[in-house]
Amino acid sequence: MKKRQIALATLALVLTGLLVAFSAGCGGSEASTTTAAAGDTTTSTAVTTTDTTADNRELHIYGWRGEIPQEIVDGFQAATGIETTFDAFDSNESLVAKLQSGATGYDIVNPSGYAVQQLAQLDLILALDHSKLVGLDNISPKFREVVYDPGNKYALPWVWGTTGLAYNDEFIKEPIEGWSDLWNPAYSGHIVMLDNMLAAYIAALQLNGFSINTNNPEEIAKATESLSEQKALLLSYNSTNQGQLLTQGQAWIVQAWSSSITSVAADNPNIHYVLPKEGGSFWVDSLAIVKSSENVESAYAFMNYILQPEVAAQITDLSKMATTNQAAIPFVDEKYRNDPSIFVPVDRLSNAEMLLDSSAQTQLVQADWTKVRAQ
Amino acid sequence: MRGARQDRPASGWNVSVGSRVLRLADLVRERTLDGAIATTSIMLYVFLLAPIVVVVLYSFNRSETGFVWTGFSTSWYVRLFHDAGMRDGIRVSFVVGITTAFISTVFGTMASYAMARRTFRGRNAFNALVLMPLVVPEIVLAVALLVFFVRVGGSLGYFSLIAGHLLVVLPYSTLILLAAVSGIDQALEEAAADLGANSWGVFRYVILPLLIPGMATSFALAFLFSFDDIVMSTFVSGVGTTTLPMLVYSMLRQGVSPEVNALGTLLIAATLVVLLTTGVRQATVAMKKGGGQPFV
Repeated sequence: MKKRQIALATLALVLTGLLVAFSAGCGGSEASTTTAAAGDTTTSTAVTTTDTTADNRELHIYGWRGEIPQEIVDGFQAATGIETTFDAFDSNESLVAKLQSGATGYDIVNPSGYAVQQLAQLDLILALDHSKLVGLDNISPKFREVVYDPGNKYALPWVWGTTGLAYNDEFIKEPIEGWSDLWNPAYSGHIVMLDNMLAAYIAALQLNGFSINTNNPEEIAKATESLSEQKALLLSYNSTNQGQLLTQGQAWIVQAWSSSITSVAADNPNIHYVLPKEGGSFWVDSLAIVKSSENVESAYAFMNYILQPEVAAQITDLSKMATTNQAAIPFVDEKYRNDPSIFVPVDRLSNAEMLLDSSAQTQLVQADWTKVRAQ
Repeated sequence: MRGARQDRPASGWNVSVGSRVLRLADLVRERTLDGAIATTSIMLYVFLLAPIVVVVLYSFNRSETGFVWTGFSTSWYVRLFHDAGMRDGIRVSFVVGITTAFISTVFGTMASYAMARRTFRGRNAFNALVLMPLVVPEIVLAVALLVFFVRVGGSLGYFSLIAGHLLVVLPYSTLILLAAVSGIDQALEEAAADLGANSWGVFRYVILPLLIPGMATSFALAFLFSFDDIVMSTFVSGVGTTTLPMLVYSMLRQGVSPEVNALGTLLIAATLVVLLTTGVRQATVAMKKGGGQPFV
């Protein structure tokens, strides 16, 4: 009996080992879909890069999964022969903390606006050498002088989105205008706010007519009061599946990032994304080169690769996030080009603010947020 | 135990009717209690297993979002097989998980045996050290370990991941095995010694075989904790060693695709296979032996 048990345990281990081997070996079957889209002849093999023999011809990307589609990574590898790996992080804060603690090995990182500021201040990313970038002019002027990084000194903006709200018109018949609708007692029990301190304060500060970047303790206190009042009306704080709650009807109106609503709205025509009239926020994700990188030339090669209009369009098609590359717009799939949750109309963006890094604000907000969540 | 009730001594007056009524009341009470326990247990299991059923069901749902059924489709499995990133994540998680579980069980066995059967100088300090990671918040451990690796000049990768996971998992392994070792009757060891075994012999022929269920539990739990781990993994993973939970959390910003349901279903199936081959055998062996050693 003992031998049998050992044999069975070994069998179980072997089975697990096979599963591991299977997952490791069943690779290379996906065809790298390079920029053969739209029948263009300027394929990725025509990328003019600077001398890439100076480094190890490797590239290690650390970014948001889904935002940097695997097809793009594979396409880049096929086009340039540079061995590329992709690792994922789950928040800007993790990224900054990890780099700050001294982790090395990453070449390109994918921070959001305020994280670029933090990384630049901590001297963790390189100032970009614009002479090495080909096609920087493809980036729309709106993103060339972003508040958190004027002149794109440190980071190349690559996709953008907004934080606003979404609602299900099956349950809400009135026109939805702005953040104040998230405080409407008529929807009590069916309102969801993002489980994110920054997002919650964006809504609460703008609701009260303040800037989202304020350091004024009185303004922040007023916003905290609003959040406390709102808590009784909420279904929950949720950042993971507000789209699903909306479709199922448990939530009627939710605060949401535009990127998480896009696919839900495509599936369900009752779901609408709205940038609030109080402004909402507008965020940009960028690419930056880590200071300790040993593959700087490969990093520039990657940036040049994605600056190409066809590739940038492909990124939007795959990730459903709006590209900052205006030359790419004609190549973007029509249904995404016209989707207002992806490409928010410019006139509505005029009130939108960008969230900037501010440790002074963070200290004030952090304590208050904990109070609101605890009550 | 129903028979025991009949041993009740008869009361002085109205013996036949009175005592029959009392016995009936007892019976009803017992049956109701049994029924209540049964119902509650069933409800509890349904509650615990319902999410698993949902995951399996919706891995075949054609719709990309929401829990609205739009049609049967195996497209998510196809997507999963072609998703190199996911496959890498699974591979990393499995490799790290199994290695961590193995090392943790080995060290846990050695530590628990020492803690239970030996006295040595510094024993209290040793006990405290082994269990300390349980008390320190994982994020503190993670950042500290990352800084340590950086200072020492090590590169982040499988080694750092396994080391980090071991840090988190060892206390649990040790505790489980400590309970298992403590449950072994010392008389058995003494008998073995009397029969001429040295301490290695006692360990090999008496302790180790009796510890196998405990080691299996420790292995399984260590693997589970390691597979699930997100905080430690985030900080001590290196290039090319992104674990599966990290991938899934990273997807949250865009909405988790139902590929994850397909992955979950496959993992559930794998677990069932392992459980059925080893667990059922264990149970039948134990039952045949008339309830031999406890499955810790």
